[in-house]
Amino acid sequence: MPDREPKIVGFCCEKHGIDSVDLAARSGRQYDSSIRLVRVPCTGRVDGTHLLKALEEGADAVFVLGCLEKNCYYDTGSIEGRKRVAYVKSMLSEVGIEPERVEMFNASSSMSWKFSEIASNMVKVAARLGPIGSRGGGR
Amino acid sequence: MKRRVQVVICRTCSGAADVLDVDRLLRVASDAPYVGSAVIVNYACNKKSISEIVDDAKSKEVDRLLLVPCSKKDVSPTLFQAYVKKAKMNEFLMETVDLVGEAALPHRDDPARAQAKAEAKLLAAIARTALLEPLHKITEDMRTKNVVVIGAGVAGVEAATTAANLGMHTIIIEKSEKKLKVPGVMMTKSRVISTEGHAGNYSLSIEAGEKRETLECAAVVVASGGDWSDAERRFIDAAPDSKPLYQLDRDVSEGKTPDGTVIIIDTPDPEGARTAAQDFAWEEALDCAIEIRKKSPATEVYLLFQEMRAMGLAELAYKEAAGLGVTFVRYDAKRPPEFDSEDGNRVTVLDMAQDETLSIAFDALYYASVSPNPDNIAIADALRIPMSPSGGIRRGSIQRGPVTTLRPGIFVCGSAKFPKSEGMARLEGRAAGLLAAQFAAAGEVESGGSVAEVAPEKCSACLTCVRTCPYEAPFIGVAGKAEIAIQMCQGCGMCAGICPSKAIELHHFTDEQLLTEAAVYLRGDF
Amino acid sequence: MTTKVLVIGGGPAGLTAAETLVSRKQEVVLVEKEDSLGGMARELACKGISECRDCGVCYAIDRADEATRTPGLEVLLKSNVTSLERVNGGFKVKIRSLPRYVTGDCIDCNKCVEACPVDGKAIFAPTGSGRPRPYWIDRGKCLHFKKSKCEKCAQVCPTNAVDYEDRAKNVTRNVSRVILATGIEPTDAREVPRLGYGTVPNVVSSVDVERILNDEGRVVRPLDGVAPKKVAMIQCVGSRSEKSGVEYCSKFCCKYGTKIAQLMMDGDPDMDLDFYFMDLRTLYEPQEDFKRWAKGMKRKVEKKKVPRVRLIRSMPSQAYPGEEGKIWLRSSGETDSEVTETPYDLVVLSVGMKPRALPESLTSPLGVTLDCHGFARCETSDCDQKVLALGAACGPMDIEETVTNAIAAAAIPPKEGN
Repeated sequence: MPDREPKIVGFCCEKHGIDSVDLAARSGRQYDSSIRLVRVPCTGRVDGTHLLKALEEGADAVFVLGCLEKNCYYDTGSIEGRKRVAYVKSMLSEVGIEPERVEMFNASSSMSWKFSEIASNMVKVAARLGPIGSRGGGR
Repeated sequence: MKRRVQVVICRTCSGAADVLDVDRLLRVASDAPYVGSAVIVNYACNKKSISEIVDDAKSKEVDRLLLVPCSKKDVSPTLFQAYVKKAKMNEFLMETVDLVGEAALPHRDDPARAQAKAEAKLLAAIARTALLEPLHKITEDMRTKNVVVIGAGVAGVEAATTAANLGMHTIIIEKSEKKLKVPGVMMTKSRVISTEGHAGNYSLSIEAGEKRETLECAAVVVASGGDWSDAERRFIDAAPDSKPLYQLDRDVSEGKTPDGTVIIIDTPDPEGARTAAQDFAWEEALDCAIEIRKKSPATEVYLLFQEMRAMGLAELAYKEAAGLGVTFVRYDAKRPPEFDSEDGNRVTVLDMAQDETLSIAFDALYYASVSPNPDNIAIADALRIPMSPSGGIRRGSIQRGPVTTLRPGIFVCGSAKFPKSEGMARLEGRAAGLLAAQFAAAGEVESGGSVAEVAPEKCSACLTCVRTCPYEAPFIGVAGKAEIAIQMCQGCGMCAGICPSKAIELHHFTDEQLLTEAAVYLRGDF
Repeated sequence: MTTKVLVIGGGPAGLTAAETLVSRKQEVVLVEKEDSLGGMARELACKGISECRDCGVCYAIDRADEATRTPGLEVLLKSNVTSLERVNGGFKVKIRSLPRYVTGDCIDCNKCVEACPVDGKAIFAPTGSGRPRPYWIDRGKCLHFKKSKCEKCAQVCPTNAVDYEDRAKNVTRNVSRVILATGIEPTDAREVPRLGYGTVPNVVSSVDVERILNDEGRVVRPLDGVAPKKVAMIQCVGSRSEKSGVEYCSKFCCKYGTKIAQLMMDGDPDMDLDFYFMDLRTLYEPQEDFKRWAKGMKRKVEKKKVPRVRLIRSMPSQAYPGEEGKIWLRSSGETDSEVTETPYDLVVLSVGMKPRALPESLTSPLGVTLDCHGFARCETSDCDQKVLALGAACGPMDIEETVTNAIAAAAIPPKEGN
């Protein structure tokens, strides 16, 4: 069992990503405080190395939250974000780290329910898997 | 670079007594590296507070600001503008951090953890702010007040008229030779071949008859409309006397109602190649049918369709038409009407509602649907904007609005998007004309600031950025390395995210800035 | 002569018109009777899961969010126009804003709602996804205004945002133009009693389902929270009818209904859906897309692929209750030759729309006439270019068309002088 609270980093776009987080907060939704959000202009900005470095710096799980595909403010940004997450997932699998630690989500500015669901999914994954290496995988 | 952060915490909302402990936040901020001053104000949105903050900034010789604002997002922009002016601070050296929305409100059940998280988030924001660089926007004058409209159909003429009424000079590019009274200029027998430049200063290469011309403009409206000729070819094979609905519409409005039996038909399209076309003309078809039955009760009218798309108030026309004795025949897409191979004026169709095969001898056949304009492919290519799966010009994401395209300054309206009625096409034309005129009226276009930049020594010229960017900002320059055209860059950072050589940075969201923020935030234990 | 414009209604039409006018350097006063901006879109759900389905709801919410931060745009919530008279080539408007009893210092922490002792509460969060989001007290339910002088919400409020001294405010504005964007309300499914709304358990309207989807992200039966596995959607309820609801086609219900169906199915791989319709009128989208989607939705049952979605071209005649909260629908097939009865866990009635009633005190000085359906027209000479009705107040339309309508309206330049 991990001896600390989970640490989860979320790269969240400044358009509908953060709008959905804001709407959730201002609709009284509650979620686990383990989520640490870092804003990016578009999830297309997110690099595979960002996701890996976050894990290296102590995150148990990392997610990327962008606009719905086909409604990305920058047209294909959230599709790029998804591709990056998929690429990192495959890399993690190759080195024996659970690919569920990295995930892609999409939301729109009118979804008040989605962010707490995202948070709770990631917290479940992080709590189940513990810090990287704690179950013999990775390092 | 000084890198001294001024942290300003607004007490009123951040500070609400049992949500966050503001005084503790102040202490945490004061002790953080790079912080030159940490203050609390009661109402950051108050004009008096701005003077206080500016005076403090000047006395503590800070060069950047981190604001911990009220939860009211509406405060920040006006505050920033006032602050920028008074403190003479670079606008890119100012940040806000929403502690209430992200570190307090969602964690009310665990205030101790919420406070610890707020402190960690504040430290992460301070660390990011310390790494920010001053950035400058560039303003470029628009060389013209020209709005180019592609297509002189209903939507195009409306767009041009609207833009002209708002003071722009309009140029309509029309492929046919038709003569119309339009504002500005109309170039007939003309097509757009290619586009250079960027929003505000586009340079279009136009093929006008035999000649090639270059047209400069500030904005473009695509109003290429739908296409009757494609459907016409197919019907001419099957029913040589068939005509497009607009001809019936014209005849009826001129008082020439046909005799005998008239059939109005949608697009029987068993291969599913023209699925977009069915929505178009039901209002017009029903209005014609009603007129014919009223003026010439001896004329039989049949409407053959797959779905009776009499939308909105046209439903009432549907009822009226049925009441006047118009025969409605619904057929299945897989069993389309068949034209008699010997008698060109007879059609056989399975009526799905009655489960009965009808054989109708007709005197006139009109087809009531519009295909996407096949020219859309060439237009999309020339303007380098994407097409939609149904063959129209793709609208930008709905976030951007109903008549936008991917490229700033290029708008689309009418049946070029998706077949629609005249009234709707006119409305969209007006909207697109307004937005294009507004865009051109600004007179100048801003770029720069948070844009991407390539470090040429790292670039391997793999062209990944060029292929990824939706806005065509990256290009291979004379040195054989990628460069970013600042006027095209929208600041999304997709190129920076995908570059396999890590040769591209996005200013204001550099790898160092993002990773430092994440690392400091992760260091906080809560 | 002022160039201020009055916009009545803060839904997609009013918000877009206001924003477009402000970008054309005009000052705007936006009057909205509800507690937040967004109109009906506040309670409509985003129809996408990871991919956008083009419903347009987020567009309205985004404009509502921006409206609170736009200089030159004055937003008056919980407000109504009480009088309007023509003066000096423009209009003098009196606006009454009902008290909210909560100030702008509200940070949405919800403590007041938790503390409120009233059954069903007397203090409320903003409706749906509307913006801005300060809370508000319903004076009629609040105990403070009855003898008890309860102050529980004020006591727990961390920012002292509760203000029992708030009073209705009356303001006067002089404007050169008035834009009517009062929008629509849903038709009442109770007007079609044979389909059981309000009498048969687990028969809900499309508006109910949108609300649930907007709040929860998935559809559950409102009475018992069960996730329905067999769902029926019935289109054209209360539209295209002479007997009940409205005679015209409400235009957007096929578009939204098909997308709600797709969203519900996305959310639950065990759900099956029967889509009852008369004509498939997916607005500005090829109908084949939905038919193709329906055909592709299959489930593997013992090596065979079984369809999960059936498109049934029929208007069911009756809904009646079954066991365990199930609903039986009686309907005929496409050719009316056979009658079937099918049980469902949930029946969704796609209701139509009708324009909100406009009082004569407003329409008369504006010179606005209403047609037989209640849609606004500006065809009298009184109207000229000073009065404009736009959006769904003028005719059935979806959000995207409403927005286009509103942008186009701003293209009409105001008349100069008197």
